[in-house]
Amino acid sequence: MAGKIVSIHSFRGGTGKSNTTANLASQVALTGKRVGVVDTDIQSPGIHVLFGLDEQKMGKTLNDFLHGKATIREVGFSVGDNPGDGEGLVKLAGKNLFLFPSSIKGGDISQILREGIDFNMLNEGLQTAITEFELDYLFIDTHPGLNEETLLSIATSDILIIILRPDSQDLQGTSVTVDIARSLDVPNLFLMVNKALPKYDFAGIKSDIEKQFQATVTSVLPLSFDMAENASKDLFSLRYPDHEWSVALKKVVPYILEAK
Amino acid sequence: MSDAILQKIRKTEFFKELSDAATSAVAENASVRHYVPNETVMRKGDPADSFFVILDGHLKIVTTDAKGDEIIINKVGPGEAIGELALVDDRPRSAGVIALDEVEVLELTKEAFFKLLEQRLDVSLGILRGFSNRLRFSTTYIEKVIDWSQKTAAGDYSFLEQTQPITNPAGSDDAKAAQLLSTFYSMVRKVKEREDDLKHELERLTFEIDQERRKREFDEITSTEFYANLKEQAKALRQKRNSK
Repeated sequence: MAGKIVSIHSFRGGTGKSNTTANLASQVALTGKRVGVVDTDIQSPGIHVLFGLDEQKMGKTLNDFLHGKATIREVGFSVGDNPGDGEGLVKLAGKNLFLFPSSIKGGDISQILREGIDFNMLNEGLQTAITEFELDYLFIDTHPGLNEETLLSIATSDILIIILRPDSQDLQGTSVTVDIARSLDVPNLFLMVNKALPKYDFAGIKSDIEKQFQATVTSVLPLSFDMAENASKDLFSLRYPDHEWSVALKKVVPYILEAK
Repeated sequence: MSDAILQKIRKTEFFKELSDAATSAVAENASVRHYVPNETVMRKGDPADSFFVILDGHLKIVTTDAKGDEIIINKVGPGEAIGELALVDDRPRSAGVIALDEVEVLELTKEAFFKLLEQRLDVSLGILRGFSNRLRFSTTYIEKVIDWSQKTAAGDYSFLEQTQPITNPAGSDDAKAAQLLSTFYSMVRKVKEREDDLKHELERLTFEIDQERRKREFDEITSTEFYANLKEQAKALRQKRNSK
């Protein structure tokens, strides 16, 4: 069975998308699956930090690949072989988790913004990553909104997870994304609500949104100060597996593993 | 000793299981003492060679904190015993006792008490019966508290409805266990009330989606040539991958 592309998307920034992607990918890797994570948020990359990767450790990047200066094999960074020293990160030692980072060099970013992305090449790169690293799942951390590179990742994905906060603006934007995903025949569409204030009725939020979009809400994750304080480095759900945020996040894993 | 005193002795927790004859035997070996308000009955550290059963009035059991200030540990009244632990261990008084009002107590020295136990089997049996009753009551109450704790932990509050509200039985010594039960009962009641309030407070969010805007934005994106190509490519891609 070919590896699946899992796109994580949100209409606006600040939904906790990169954090969710990194934690979700790691949780899937912990089940023994071979997992890749691509940072296609080329304008404002960030997911590498959560995997303990800094500018010095970062080798070849997705930018190098898109400019024909590196192969996908060279871009893939094995987190399992270099798990970093975070309490959560060390749990990934020996696991098959590969990160395909975007460059954080100012020059690289402005170049790609100027020249644009060669979509065929990016698409080729994703497929190559799946084949060469024998991935079961390739997670794509997209740029918020519905620009062309995001539309591409939605179009190529087998599983699309839209992250939203329970507010009107996110809901309005999500409605368009849901329609687009359906128009592009994405086989598996899930919604995940993040940063819900504890005073809200979580079950009510879930059923309201499911009714609104006729789509599955995998779980409603609470807004958590613990999370906000500890999430900038390391993988929160691995470090604090029993925290309510982590428990709610882990509920998404079976949806991914069982998706056809 | 007067009949009035004998009546009072019979009402105490310690001697309530005693027969009339046994009660008289106790009274003969004990002495009645009176204290005025604020009078010290015993000091912390005094040798413990007797115990008291309160017939009338109230006393406070006190100790001192690090600064030397008085801390009241407990208040005791008619029917309760003080210093009965002295009967079984040889340690000095663990706390001081001061009269709060006019107090009448029955003092029984350790020596007299043991002599009584030796000579009168009925006194010994009566006291043992009293102890075992206290223990049985306590065990029943503790079992109840365990049961309720487990139910509360599981979120099952049905026992609140099935149980008569328990009020604090004041005074007597073996009522301490009952008091625990009653405190526990009212604690769970309050926890449940707070939980109910919280559930009520949970805000139900209402979401309004502007359907016109949704359609307009969807059309803007999907009407481009880029999108048309993408849709074709995505279709081809899926077919290719499905055939693998």
